[in-house]
Amino acid sequence: MSGILVIAEHRSGELRPVSLELIGAAQPLKAVTGGPLAVAIVGSGSANFVKSLAVAGVDEILVVPTPGGEPDPDTMAVAIAMLIESRAPGLVLLPHSVDSFGYAGAVAAAGGFGFATDVFQIRFDEGGCVATRGGYGQKVNIEVDFPGRSVAVLAVRSGAFKAPEGESTPAVTVVQMAAPRARARPIEYIEVAAGDDVDMTTAEFILSIGRGIGEEAKVAQFKDLADAVGATLGCSRPIADSGWLPKSRQVGQSGKTASACKLYVAMGVSGAIQHLAGMKHVSTIVAVNSDSAASIFNVATYGIVGDIFAVAEELRSHF
Amino acid sequence: MGSVKGCRWKILVAVKQVSSLEEDFEIRADGRDVEPDFLVRDLNEWDEYSLEEAVKIKEAGAEVEVVAVSVGPEVADEALRKCLAKGADRAIRVWEDAVAGSDSIAVARIVAAVARREKADLVFAGVQSSDHSFASTGTAIAGFLDWPHAAVVNQLAYVQGATRAEVRRELEGGVLQLMEVDCPAVFTIQLGINAPRYASLRSIKQAAAKPIETLCLGDIGLSSADAGEAGSLSRVRRMYVSAKGRAQMIDGTPAEQAARLAAIIKKFTGAGA
Amino acid sequence: MIDSQSITRTLFEDFRPLAVTLFYGAGIAATGIFLWGIWIQVRKYRRGARYVLDGSLAARFGDMVGSVLSHRTVRRRDHAVGAAHGLVFFGFALLFVGTSTITLEFDVLKPLFGVRFWYGNFYLWFSLVLDVAGVMLTVGLLYMMYRRGWLKPPKLDYARPDRSPTDPDFDRSAYRIEDWTFLWTLMVIGVTGFVLEAARLVWLAARPEVWNFRWWSPAGAVVACGLRSLGVSATAAGQLRTGLWWFHGVLALAFIALIPFTKVKHIFTASASLMLRDPLASQRLPRVPDSQAAPGYQYITDLNWKQLLNLDACTKCGRCHDACPARATGAPLSPRDVILSLREFANKSLASGTLPDKAELDIHGKNAGQVAMETLWSCRTCMACVEICPVAVEHVPIIVQMRRKLVESGDMDPLLTKTLQTIHKTGNSFGESRRKRPAWTKSLPFTIKDARKEPVDVLWFVGDYASFDPRNQKVSQTFATLLRDAGVDFGLLYEAESNAGNDVRRVGEEGLYEVLADSNVKAMSEATFKSVVTTDPHSYNTIRNEYPDFGGRYEIEHYTTLLRVLLAAGRLKPSRPLNYRVTFHDPCHLGRFNKGYEAPREILKLLGCELIEMGRCRANSFCCGAGGGRIWVADPVGVEKPAQNRIREAAAIEGLQVYVVSCPKDLTMFEDALKTTGNEGRFVVRELIELVHEAVAVPADAAVAGA
Repeated sequence: MSGILVIAEHRSGELRPVSLELIGAAQPLKAVTGGPLAVAIVGSGSANFVKSLAVAGVDEILVVPTPGGEPDPDTMAVAIAMLIESRAPGLVLLPHSVDSFGYAGAVAAAGGFGFATDVFQIRFDEGGCVATRGGYGQKVNIEVDFPGRSVAVLAVRSGAFKAPEGESTPAVTVVQMAAPRARARPIEYIEVAAGDDVDMTTAEFILSIGRGIGEEAKVAQFKDLADAVGATLGCSRPIADSGWLPKSRQVGQSGKTASACKLYVAMGVSGAIQHLAGMKHVSTIVAVNSDSAASIFNVATYGIVGDIFAVAEELRSHF
Repeated sequence: MGSVKGCRWKILVAVKQVSSLEEDFEIRADGRDVEPDFLVRDLNEWDEYSLEEAVKIKEAGAEVEVVAVSVGPEVADEALRKCLAKGADRAIRVWEDAVAGSDSIAVARIVAAVARREKADLVFAGVQSSDHSFASTGTAIAGFLDWPHAAVVNQLAYVQGATRAEVRRELEGGVLQLMEVDCPAVFTIQLGINAPRYASLRSIKQAAAKPIETLCLGDIGLSSADAGEAGSLSRVRRMYVSAKGRAQMIDGTPAEQAARLAAIIKKFTGAGA
Repeated sequence: MIDSQSITRTLFEDFRPLAVTLFYGAGIAATGIFLWGIWIQVRKYRRGARYVLDGSLAARFGDMVGSVLSHRTVRRRDHAVGAAHGLVFFGFALLFVGTSTITLEFDVLKPLFGVRFWYGNFYLWFSLVLDVAGVMLTVGLLYMMYRRGWLKPPKLDYARPDRSPTDPDFDRSAYRIEDWTFLWTLMVIGVTGFVLEAARLVWLAARPEVWNFRWWSPAGAVVACGLRSLGVSATAAGQLRTGLWWFHGVLALAFIALIPFTKVKHIFTASASLMLRDPLASQRLPRVPDSQAAPGYQYITDLNWKQLLNLDACTKCGRCHDACPARATGAPLSPRDVILSLREFANKSLASGTLPDKAELDIHGKNAGQVAMETLWSCRTCMACVEICPVAVEHVPIIVQMRRKLVESGDMDPLLTKTLQTIHKTGNSFGESRRKRPAWTKSLPFTIKDARKEPVDVLWFVGDYASFDPRNQKVSQTFATLLRDAGVDFGLLYEAESNAGNDVRRVGEEGLYEVLADSNVKAMSEATFKSVVTTDPHSYNTIRNEYPDFGGRYEIEHYTTLLRVLLAAGRLKPSRPLNYRVTFHDPCHLGRFNKGYEAPREILKLLGCELIEMGRCRANSFCCGAGGGRIWVADPVGVEKPAQNRIREAAAIEGLQVYVVSCPKDLTMFEDALKTTGNEGRFVVRELIELVHEAVAVPADAAVAGA
């Protein structure tokens, strides 16, 4: 068993950025694992992504066309199992995404592969592959290994690795598979109504509020503060779920990714993993929280432990 | 093993007693977990929603039995009692010493075995647990059962005895996906799908009187090779507090802290202008 | 010389036997209807749940008679109404007793024993007293009419804050018809009585034994003179007398017959209610018996018979409506309307011979007679309504019992749900780890004893807010310093203390309260101490009044009484008078609940502060809005909060420097309200503990109020 297999992800005709991050994660490991770095893209129209995936370090692109639209979980599981069997990689990298939530566990369970999810560091030592993930609400790091497993399937956290720079000219192989009868069939995608016209993905300066604000009445205070300092007001999931701010302002896994953000001020956001997924890559993060043990401080550049209302009020007086 | 009379239909809800950490926690001497003294236990938040979804189906008039299942030592009874208080008809806990050290896959194998033994018609699990967030147990259960499945479901339309369910999945970036799933099936349930009811202390106390079936691996046709480290696909080698990644703390009065924050913001907006 | 036997009134004079029979028939019918009405009401009460009275019935009766005769409860905070009601009450009572003496002689003593007394001097005094009583009644009624018709106090407006104007039962206008009918009926009975008396005088003016003694019935005599000056002849007067006699008599009988069916029944129900009063109704809430299948009140029949009777005692006087802080700040709650809704519900559903289906007895909801959950959740359980009710209606236990049902079915604010779960998980409402409860002691330069490990004189029960809230932690540190400086041997329960549960119980989460109370009682049983002191009035109330039901009996005091003793004994010595102009806010749970009005005021005096009372003080103190678990629920946006209302009241005090509080939740609520009402900088909110510390500290260390 040698080599690395990366499973790329696409949706609605677009390659998801995490696919390239997986290649970035795989690239430095090639020296240890030996063998080729192959990137597989499964689904109808998958050939369209060949060009985007031809980045530095990629030795081969495996195009697995399937009938129908988006690949369903059963098809993904069968495709990955088939690729592992035929290519015999030592390491398989998947995105830790909502799509992989739908098949990764089933693939690992059926194949008996080494398996870990939400991985943000990968290395090899004499014991084989060692993956690092968070635990207890990201308050600790956990290193796991896979004794006795010849293949390790790792679902990798988005934003944890950088996409490689430079291009390559990989071989392109079309792999045919007999698609299984899909038992779970995608019908359609629905874009949730924006709520307001703000676009969190293009905002450079975001001031985000979380559960810590306690009550809807306080939202206005932070709206005013965000306006005063020139930030876009964002929020964590509980605030959007409560309807205190429109869903379009939610940053995180099930909300928006703060892609263009350079300064992120999180007030009363504890740092649930879903929220971190949308903002932890931001270069300057300031977290204000009354709980000194909040997970948000693990990703923040600066931390302020204190009463968010008092800090907000004082901050307001500077602008 | 009993079952509610007249119920021809069964939903199995997999639940976990999760742990969060107290402040100033300490890592266990062997370096592979946290000292148990510092763990605060509770029913996993996602599981509150999946249990509620099952109980809602029952309350909508279906002749259905809701069975909560947890894999864990005796402390997990507390989570199961909460489920009984919230409307589960029965509770099953699987444990023996060999189960210790199981990862999400080994746990899924056990739950799948219980589902087979119970002849369940549907299995619900939370999308993930709030402590270790593997987000894979539910799908792995489907893998072991070879059942259809859908992950991150935030709306579920299903009537008793139907051959398929229509679900709505919550994808990244505020996108939803409608999906049709053949049944029996496994669904992992997302937060917000419903409003979980409050389990009053009185109902929890009353639930304490209901029995919790405790099973060992042999009862569900498994052996110690199927659980614990032997049955897992990963092994914890080390647990530690990340040295880097901790924020640089700004101390002082709120006024002083705000002044520093204002300076950071002004530096950024000034540079950006 | 006139024979004294002839100085009397001949009953049924000039009546034919048939007319007399007719009148007796009417009298018996009226009594029958009256008794039947009573039976209907009693049957209604009997459909309520069991309730066992404690204490001696004789003592209760004595208290009731005292309250009724003194009109103590009716006079409070509305002296004019108290006086007018007194006139009506005593006038009516005298007329009733007087008239009864006629029956006593005419129908009982004379026919059975041949005994007569209703003549001569007795008769003359009888005439005088009853005339005066009639005048009292009339004057009292006139004031009541003036009040309803012209003064129109807002509390008599029946418009409901928990219904919208389009709802059919929004303004309860039918009540207004009943009110006026009641007043006018009594008035007409009174006035026709005088005219009837006058007509008889004119009719029988020729008889000296009548006319010569006319001034013994002065009002009647004045009217008689008027009639004669108008030229009314004796014959005409005789005819008038016959007509009026029937009118007056039948009206009076009808009035009696209808007592059990109209607001007039408060004559009986209010007295009974006063007799059944539970002085600790709000302070010590009832436990849920293990035998009870579901906690709380869901059906009208879950109310006990005493409470069903309480509902009937309500006279819609509106004092609770006036006093309620939730109502005053626009919440959909008026304690009056809760009581009236339930009363209407009970009258409708429990009136017939057979009980309707359970579903028709459900008192929760938005239909007529039901109480909405928004209404129940608006209550701060501050006890202002119970305290002011002149007829001893106990609103708070009913509201909490109804909340228990809501908690059981999970019908509550998500924030509240979360808080209850947090308290269950961590033992405190802040969601902090148990280990962190004593964290505030760490920055003290001395160590506080651990009462679990060594005996102490005084165990200090700190409570959640004083333990975890950063602002209140400072106060706790100050209090600890004061106790140490005064040489008090004191200690804490440290991590073993849990939320005392006072507010959890008032939310209606009885199961959680039981867990908390049991846990604290157990922790206290493992410590050695002589008495308990607490800085938190909420903890004070529940430990003092409710823990005994859980086996925890302690000598407990609020810190104000302890500090007063320490100051008076010179163990704490003020180094200089503070000379602040202050006002004092009575916390509900210290003041109204436990009558701790004096100690904080005496301390302020000892500190040399000039105390200016707010209009609403002591028993009438206005709740900060935090009680009953409301501190865990967000108040609606854009509406004045109770604490803001209160701070505005204080702000009207000329030159106010310090708004003094003696409760951790008050400190939080009012410091917030001070900012949000824009009064920051005009005066400060301070804990009494801080003022004591400032006064005893050497000046260099002392903080300056307003700094």
